[in-house]
Amino acid sequence: MSSTRSDGGAAPPAVELRGITKRFPGVVANHDINITVAPGTVHAIVGENGAGKSTLMKTLYGMHRPDEGEILIGGQPVQLHTPSDAIRHGIGMVHQHFMLADNLTVLENVVLGAERLHGIGARARRRVTELSDQYGLGVRPDRLMEDLGVGDRQRVEILKVLYRGARTIILDEPTAVLVPQEVDELFGNLRELKREGLTVIFISHKLDEVLSVADTITVIRRGTTVATVDPAGTTARELATLMVGGQLPVPELRESTVTSDTALRLEGLRVEAADGRAVVDGVSLDIHRGEIVGIAGVEGNGQAELIEAIMGMRPVAAGRITLDGTPITGWRTRAVREAGIGYVPEDRHRHGVLLESPLWENRILGHQTRRPNARGPWIDRAGARADTERIVAEFDVRTPGIDVNADALSGGNQQKLIVGREMSGDPKVVLAAHPTRGVDVGAQAAIWDHLRAARARGLAVLLVSADLDELIGMSDTLHVILRGRLVAQADPATVTSEELGSAMTGAALDASSAAAAAGGAPEPGQPGASTEDEAAR
Amino acid sequence: MIKSLPTPAVLGATAALGVLGTFLLDLALLAPAALAIGVAAACVAAVLLTAPADGESRALRRGLVAPTSLVLAVVVGLLTAVIADLWLIEPVAYALGALAGSLTGPLLYRRMATTLALAFVAVAVAGALAFALTALVLVGTGVDPGYTFGRMLSYGSEPNSVVTVINSATTYYLSAVAVAIGFKMKLFNIGVDGQYRLAALLAAAAGAAWALPPVLHQIAIILVAVAVGGFWAGIAGYLKVARGVSEVISTIMLNAIATGITAYLLSTDRLAVNIGSNNIGTAPIPESGWIPGIPTEFMGAGRPIFGLTLLAVAVGVGYWALLNRTRFGFDLRATGQSASAAEASGVNVRRMVVASMVISGMVAGLVGMPQLLGDSHYYALDFPVGLGFTGIAIALLGRNHPVGIAFAALFWAWLNQSSQILDIDGIPKEIAVVTQATIVLTVVVVYELVHRWGRRYEQQQVGRELGRVKVATS
Repeated sequence: MSSTRSDGGAAPPAVELRGITKRFPGVVANHDINITVAPGTVHAIVGENGAGKSTLMKTLYGMHRPDEGEILIGGQPVQLHTPSDAIRHGIGMVHQHFMLADNLTVLENVVLGAERLHGIGARARRRVTELSDQYGLGVRPDRLMEDLGVGDRQRVEILKVLYRGARTIILDEPTAVLVPQEVDELFGNLRELKREGLTVIFISHKLDEVLSVADTITVIRRGTTVATVDPAGTTARELATLMVGGQLPVPELRESTVTSDTALRLEGLRVEAADGRAVVDGVSLDIHRGEIVGIAGVEGNGQAELIEAIMGMRPVAAGRITLDGTPITGWRTRAVREAGIGYVPEDRHRHGVLLESPLWENRILGHQTRRPNARGPWIDRAGARADTERIVAEFDVRTPGIDVNADALSGGNQQKLIVGREMSGDPKVVLAAHPTRGVDVGAQAAIWDHLRAARARGLAVLLVSADLDELIGMSDTLHVILRGRLVAQADPATVTSEELGSAMTGAALDASSAAAAAGGAPEPGQPGASTEDEAAR
Repeated sequence: MIKSLPTPAVLGATAALGVLGTFLLDLALLAPAALAIGVAAACVAAVLLTAPADGESRALRRGLVAPTSLVLAVVVGLLTAVIADLWLIEPVAYALGALAGSLTGPLLYRRMATTLALAFVAVAVAGALAFALTALVLVGTGVDPGYTFGRMLSYGSEPNSVVTVINSATTYYLSAVAVAIGFKMKLFNIGVDGQYRLAALLAAAAGAAWALPPVLHQIAIILVAVAVGGFWAGIAGYLKVARGVSEVISTIMLNAIATGITAYLLSTDRLAVNIGSNNIGTAPIPESGWIPGIPTEFMGAGRPIFGLTLLAVAVGVGYWALLNRTRFGFDLRATGQSASAAEASGVNVRRMVVASMVISGMVAGLVGMPQLLGDSHYYALDFPVGLGFTGIAIALLGRNHPVGIAFAALFWAWLNQSSQILDIDGIPKEIAVVTQATIVLTVVVVYELVHRWGRRYEQQQVGRELGRVKVATS
């Protein structure tokens, strides 16, 4: 199962995991994990969402201890009780969600918590500059963090880890937040780190990326290592088969079901942040019955605010929202929901479920006022429970029963419950923000199936996603959002993820994108027919 | 292992066994011992006749749920028997008790969720810890703990003590429910104290000033109290949503203001008259506004139980129904669990904050009513104070559950009452306070541990269940 690369020979592996088993309170655990990471390489660990990659990395980073098995660093068995133990042994971790203080400078962020190493003054600055030059990170110590883009922030995170003396760096899904161009830059940095003798453990489920950057790939499925392969001798298809034990689902729509009835119309929608800055600016679009409209954009460009404004969770500063001809601008969330808008929230733990409540109570959430959950002022327990059973069966929510608390389920099963709930009661429109984020392949395919089926029945869907393949595959019409404005429209039939990525960073902003913003919604009946995606090239 | 029999069949069999066993043993043993053994036999039979539910660990079910239901069944049986004994002859009373016990035990064993059994065990452990700590303190001060607890037990079970316990538990219960409504929303209403004092004062003054026919009079007084309590708590709710003032701070301040206002109003120039030589209070409420007590001669006590004890029961049932059966209660619990998820589901969180504060205050307004309408009939300088703070401790002890709070209130009141005897023996009665304080701490800690363990257990349970399904289908 495990294998070392044959180049070094003499040098002990940078990190070796032997028979790691973690019985974890949850659905996925690790059992009998064996991985050998050679020094000076990029070692990728791939597996679908929920396969146990993060659990494994938390073990290696000392965030919890394995129940069985041992961890060897540089050939020596070690006990890692806390992350600081791991750092002492030269293991550093860059988390998927950055842990940076926006109001501090790069230098301050780097030294924060590591003041003892080189102080906080000139010595620290010298060290930061030195590291940045040595590894070609191009980090400027005095820039304010809030002025930096996502790629720069990631480099600061890497620098933070290096500054603390790490020789092995764990990157947890580092490309999830990057557009394709930034991914290339990151890979350049990783090769630089490797050249300087550092070891990189790279966690991902994006196979093309893994194949292009890794020296060795270990595949994890259902909590255990199933294979270690050389990227030169394998293909994405083979990896996918190893990863899921079958074919990867492909997001695609078949024949168009788009009608000419407008279900949801946005006109010149403007949403302001607390300081009066526009976070959504002049957004106009139409979603027709039977149409899925995708919104592509780097996270934080107003997608979340757009959806929250439609849901009535955020005040609309200007513009109009019309649902089936009824103006719903400024309605309260409950009224918006009752009018027929379903909402699959981006952050399901914050907005989607009550973790410590049973599934059937979660079925009620968001639909408190409607049948079958309520009868007058009373909760209809029998009705809600029966309907929860229906959702569990129809949406294949894997659970022993509807009385278990939501937090006993895996993320994918929670998400299926949410999607099932939001499609109940015949909504006219569903706002789906990252509907398949963090769910396993099976659940992903199921959610896509349900979206397709609902679309065929005439549901209008607004789809926001960071997964460009999902957006391209599942959308009838595709808009690009940048700094709160719809800057381009792309034809999902012809656009590639690279083109979309460029448009998302605003690289190709020109006259036609201005036209897209000004021209507003596409002609009814011809969604996706626009060729403005030329602008993206 | 035999397959599970249907519940009615098991219940029938165990009930017959329990009653018959008790009846036969009664010939040889003391009635309570006979009952305990009979009920225990019924429980054991039920355990043997019941196969554990799929996927649940049999060891846990038998090791935890079975003993818990057994103990609860014996307690229920004994209580039923003792109460029935007041009217009926002993053999019949104990047969009835055995029937109740032998029905309760098997039913609990079959129906009680493992987590609920855990909760009972947690409380028992916490109680044992608290008493052990108290015993330690007693030993440290050179007093025999066995003697002390024995004195408390015998004095605390005298009929007059029982009446006092029920009466103070009534007010504690109302106060704790008021606090619990806030807790369910993650709001900390420290202001119950001020709310009930102000409400009682104004209700007493209104009751004395208005001449109304009976029934109407009482209702009017109670409505005044409810309105005043709700208004006073509503101020804190309004400040929270409109100005972002923490309800902890504002209710503490409002307590101080309420103290000031009562002191101002309770003067002979304003609402008060002289009562006795050393006391002033509002004019007494005429008899049309009194609420008669529940007579207690049958148990040999010299004073009645507050009539408004029934109101406390109704408040408890209402609290339970509101939380678990209504849309409003669902919104309230959802907001308490996750304000952001509630907001996304369409709950107007700000309105919920104000509404729950007002409801909490309305219940708080009731706290002084049993005393006012059932006993003193006026609000004077010696009106009980500090009940609002006791309510916080009791709500914590009862885990905000309507039944849990009832037990906690009774227990609290019993400690207060039974420790009165200790002064006579020269033992400091503050020992009860030690027990009260430690039990709140131990319950909170033990319960949190059990809660975490229960969640993990459930997650493992789900994992195991799904793992098995996977194996079965693949």
